[in-house]
Amino acid sequence: MSLTSRSRIVNPRLGTYFGIFVSALSGLVLLLIIFEQLGTPDASLRWGMLIGPLLLYAAIAASVLTKDPLDFFVVGRRVPAGYTGLGVASSAMGATGIVAMTGVFFIIGFDALFVVIGGLAGFVLMAVMLAPFLRKFGMFTVPSYLGRRFDSRSVRILCAALVAVPMLLLLAAELRMGAFVAAWLVGQPQSLMVMLLTLCIVLGLVFGGMRSFTWSSSAQAIAAILALIVPVAVVAVMVTNFPLPQLTHGPLLRALVRNEAIQGLPIVEVSSFAFSLPGDGMLAVTKRFTVPFGSIGPAAFVVAMLTVAAGVASAPWLLPRVTMTPGVYETRKSLGWATVFFGLVMLTVASVSVFMRDYVMDIVAATGPASIPGWAQQLTDLGFAQIDTRSTRLAFTSFSFWRDTVFLSLPIAAGLPNVFAYFAAAGAIAAALVAAGAVVGALGNVIAEDVINGLSWEPLPRQPRVWVARVAFGVVAILGGLMALLAPTDALSLLLTCLALTGSTLFPVLALSVWWKRMNAFGAMAGMGSGFGVAVVTMLAGSAIGLEGPLASLLGIPAGVLGTVLASFATPVPTRSVLELVREMRVPGGEVIYDREMRLLRLKNRDRK
Amino acid sequence: MIERKERKPYWRHTKWQMLASIVPFLVVIIVLPLYAESLNSEKFLGFPLGYFLSAHGIAVIAIFTVASFVNRQDAVDHWHGAHEDI
Repeated sequence: MSLTSRSRIVNPRLGTYFGIFVSALSGLVLLLIIFEQLGTPDASLRWGMLIGPLLLYAAIAASVLTKDPLDFFVVGRRVPAGYTGLGVASSAMGATGIVAMTGVFFIIGFDALFVVIGGLAGFVLMAVMLAPFLRKFGMFTVPSYLGRRFDSRSVRILCAALVAVPMLLLLAAELRMGAFVAAWLVGQPQSLMVMLLTLCIVLGLVFGGMRSFTWSSSAQAIAAILALIVPVAVVAVMVTNFPLPQLTHGPLLRALVRNEAIQGLPIVEVSSFAFSLPGDGMLAVTKRFTVPFGSIGPAAFVVAMLTVAAGVASAPWLLPRVTMTPGVYETRKSLGWATVFFGLVMLTVASVSVFMRDYVMDIVAATGPASIPGWAQQLTDLGFAQIDTRSTRLAFTSFSFWRDTVFLSLPIAAGLPNVFAYFAAAGAIAAALVAAGAVVGALGNVIAEDVINGLSWEPLPRQPRVWVARVAFGVVAILGGLMALLAPTDALSLLLTCLALTGSTLFPVLALSVWWKRMNAFGAMAGMGSGFGVAVVTMLAGSAIGLEGPLASLLGIPAGVLGTVLASFATPVPTRSVLELVREMRVPGGEVIYDREMRLLRLKNRDRK
Repeated sequence: MIERKERKPYWRHTKWQMLASIVPFLVVIIVLPLYAESLNSEKFLGFPLGYFLSAHGIAVIAIFTVASFVNRQDAVDHWHGAHEDI
């Protein structure tokens, strides 16, 4: 059976289904708010907020059981552009992008924008340079694409081995961040929460593979965005009388700038390549919000921004998602949606940090004897903040905040019911599940398709193929869980390291594989090898040469380009069949290359019988 | 389905479209934040202008870049008959 366009019609009831999900989620939150006012024990509210949404996601995942490989690996190529964009944007941010970035904005202000601009640029690069062509090719994973594109099993296996490293780093980062928030939410140890999240991810994938994951992660992404935006919108109504925090925090920011000047916060000058990102822990606010380049130098800002862009554009856990749309046009459109969602979330995150700074500034700027309001005391009791009360007068620098809890502090500072803070936490957990699930799904597919069956272009029979992938999901999730337990490193630096490695290893090779016909398999291997190798060496030698780990792609990407170009020129031109494949990939019209190959393979096998 | 002799002009057109989408965007995102500080003395919607342009401005430019790319590239596809038949 060949797949015609007719069988790829988008489900017209998707909107209804997700409408039901949003109603159920809102119902849960409203119910918990009512219960809180009625005096229900706090622990029940917290567990309700953790378990309720998880059950909804699991129900969605379990309701789309599938055995068909095309459904299992690429959702039958019928995910509309909007949902794909939502999934791509939220997998790119994850919990780290929401929780840690709020804290980073709060502490270093303007300099945190490198992540925002880098992410947006990543989607633009992906939309223009990579995604439409990978969609036309239609492979399930990035190593499969590169392997088939160069007709080389060595490229496929080398790529699979190299992409596993950054993907495991990201998985560990997301699980740690998710577990941290979940542990705060229900007051259980983080290790237990890592196990719970791992279990949720496996449950979200085993039933229907990427099909289960795509629909449950769409629900998770919607929950994450709602949980981020709703509390901030409520605060915005309280503070600025208008529920659009992204646009209305301007006057607040201006007052903040004035007060910072009155308080005498220093304008810090750092060297061009300085890159000091706030780590995980209590940090004092010492930098003015809107003054650029106080902790990240201008050159480092540009390099880090391009690193994030290259990493996001060539992310092997995002690219398979854009091949699940009904067509090439939809793939391009989906990345437009990804930019919209990513921009919206990041501007909201920035406004959370401005509101939070404003609340702190209110204490400091108050005339009369210094007094600490109830919410600040509550934050100190929770361990979110420290207030240095030794001096007679409170200054802005008397406050230290824990980077990863600024996000949860805003509903408390605004005096909203506790359930709002719990809802925000549930949103962060959902975001962690989206990103970690995307990695487990993508890496599981890589292992099942490119490692276990990597030496053959002929896929396993239908049933074993799906079962191998299911087992691979479990193995990857457990591996990621172990890494999250054993490697206690800051999630944000893990994320940036992962993006630097991905960008150096894959971006030059993927971009050139589309735009440079002369490139051959040796070029691909040399490009990936040199990009990855140089990036790793730069990271290890980082302090000696004055280049922080996340900036390693400054050398890694040029090394990747150089390796690709030199090795391609030094070796024979690609064969005629490979050139024909490239020409075909560049044209959106016609049958998806992978689907056609599978159809021909089935015909051949039928003839043989 | 695209005709054989249309492939070359189609790809040339596509390459120019890629450059026209990416190069101005990259120039803006690299240059704009470097001048943010001097723009910050101006105000827009209450925001310091440099911060506003680097955050909201670049988000809008990115969305506009992708939207115009999708629109133009689709026109290029149709012009050369390279579009999908769905």
